[in-house]
Amino acid sequence: MANILTRYGDNYIAELSEEDIRADIDDGTADAADRAQIPELTKDEKDYLFEIIADPQKIVSVERGKEVVVSFDAGTLKLTVRNGISMDRSAAILTQERALASDSIELCHVDYSYKPIKPIIAEERQAMEQAQLLSVLPVLYGAMPNMGLYTKPDGPCDNWSELLPAGRIPEARAAQEEAIEHAIKDIVFVASNMIESGADGINFDTVGASGDADVKASLEAVRILKEKYPTTGFEVGMAGEFNLGMHGQLEFDGEIIAGLYPHQQVKMAERAGVSIFGMAVNTNSSESLAWNLARVTTFAKAAVKAASIPVHANVGMGVGGIPLSVIPSCDAVSRVDKALVEIAGVDGL
Amino acid sequence: MTKEEYIKIAIDTMMKGDADAAVANMNAAIADGIDPAELLSEGYSAGIREVGDQFGKGRMFLPELMLAADAMKAVSEVVNAEVEKAGKSVEKRGVMVLATVQGDVHDIGKGIVASLIKTQGIEVIDMGRDVPAQAIVDKAVEVDADLIGTSALLTTTMGEMKVLEELLKEQDLKKKFKTLIGGAPVTERFAKRIGADAYGEDASEAVEKAMALLG
Repeated sequence: MANILTRYGDNYIAELSEEDIRADIDDGTADAADRAQIPELTKDEKDYLFEIIADPQKIVSVERGKEVVVSFDAGTLKLTVRNGISMDRSAAILTQERALASDSIELCHVDYSYKPIKPIIAEERQAMEQAQLLSVLPVLYGAMPNMGLYTKPDGPCDNWSELLPAGRIPEARAAQEEAIEHAIKDIVFVASNMIESGADGINFDTVGASGDADVKASLEAVRILKEKYPTTGFEVGMAGEFNLGMHGQLEFDGEIIAGLYPHQQVKMAERAGVSIFGMAVNTNSSESLAWNLARVTTFAKAAVKAASIPVHANVGMGVGGIPLSVIPSCDAVSRVDKALVEIAGVDGL
Repeated sequence: MTKEEYIKIAIDTMMKGDADAAVANMNAAIADGIDPAELLSEGYSAGIREVGDQFGKGRMFLPELMLAADAMKAVSEVVNAEVEKAGKSVEKRGVMVLATVQGDVHDIGKGIVASLIKTQGIEVIDMGRDVPAQAIVDKAVEVDADLIGTSALLTTTMGEMKVLEELLKEQDLKKKFKTLIGGAPVTERFAKRIGADAYGEDASEAVEKAMALLG
């Protein structure tokens, strides 16, 4: 068999032999299984993954009947800021609905963290009301918990990223615990206002970016909001394949948050009242698409099996096996999507 | 106790981040005639590398990593004192200037790399984040560094590493400083392409590469 044109995790194009690709699939699934203590992909799944990667078509797709819905983070930043198209957020939402046939969209502010939305909440409420009047697709409101904004000089808490290297661990932990309370208050305030302005749901993006405290603040906020607004949907998208332990001892419902992998993260999210779980697995830019995709598919399959809520795989740049590149190639992106849907069985992307 | 038993305890103290037990084990080993440098290398250094691996898998957390780094520092001080007592001078293995490149404010990973590299007897001058390439070069000249380490988390900022390599060449300093790069979008291929001397995929590998560059 001739060499197969494929990619590395930094989007670098390469021709690899069948033997190399199969070896990378074996290594990738074994790595995920070892880390998360979950089963590897079966031989049939590994063979099918090889077929997807080796497919001579530039772009591949799922079989008819296996289509899934899409949800977004940084929704109204994609066309306007990232693609540099001069349009306001309403136009971006309508473009997503009518030109790109998106199943849902997220209205968001360029600051994209809950805290800085507070002083402009009236403007955001107006934007949400306008978006709901104009469109028919579900419009969520979303931002990141972004716990870093609560540390000095931006916020009132001591900076745990400075305290930890200085060996001041009790102080670092106390600072994170203090920040959690501020974050919960801000998230509940912003989300409540947006729900009351017509938001169909609330998205929590990149949860855990600042470690386990970030996860705790988000899940506690979801729990409060779910009780307050039982019919509203809450999507929680994670920052990485395991919860980074910046604190290390924080618990949710009596379970340690740090170190949980997607199949465990989703169960914790369910208990908080999350409606859609957005799993994220980091792409390793040094490894091949085959290695990365085997790895993410292994994590995703276990998460889907464990979940009783829909699992949407995060397939943005640098996560989910998508190459870490400003413009990831469509050959890699479509292969990631197909594998996650057809092998792992994710409910959405 | 045998040397192997001291090594086993040394690794265990690193895994627990127990500085007092680590120092007590080293002192007992020295009293038993064990070579402290060998115990440091085969026991404590091996232990802290294991801590780094466990951290990378989400099985140990940042506070534990920092405690282990502190324990390593305490043990290193005992070894240095012992070497001095024997009439030898304590030599640093090298000096490293470390920074997150200009335009990039991510420094959690760089902080971990700094903590682990310090445990190996390398003096680390951490310039922080968002540091211009020329400022890194100036600092390396000022402190007579052996190594320059840079980190980037963004595809849009990793180009600053190439700027640094070009500045070193333009200013005829490329042979003076070895360069080590890392960060999520950075790869071995990128390191070769821009002319960096080494690439570290994670903190443990950064330590290994730094040691190798220092010979």
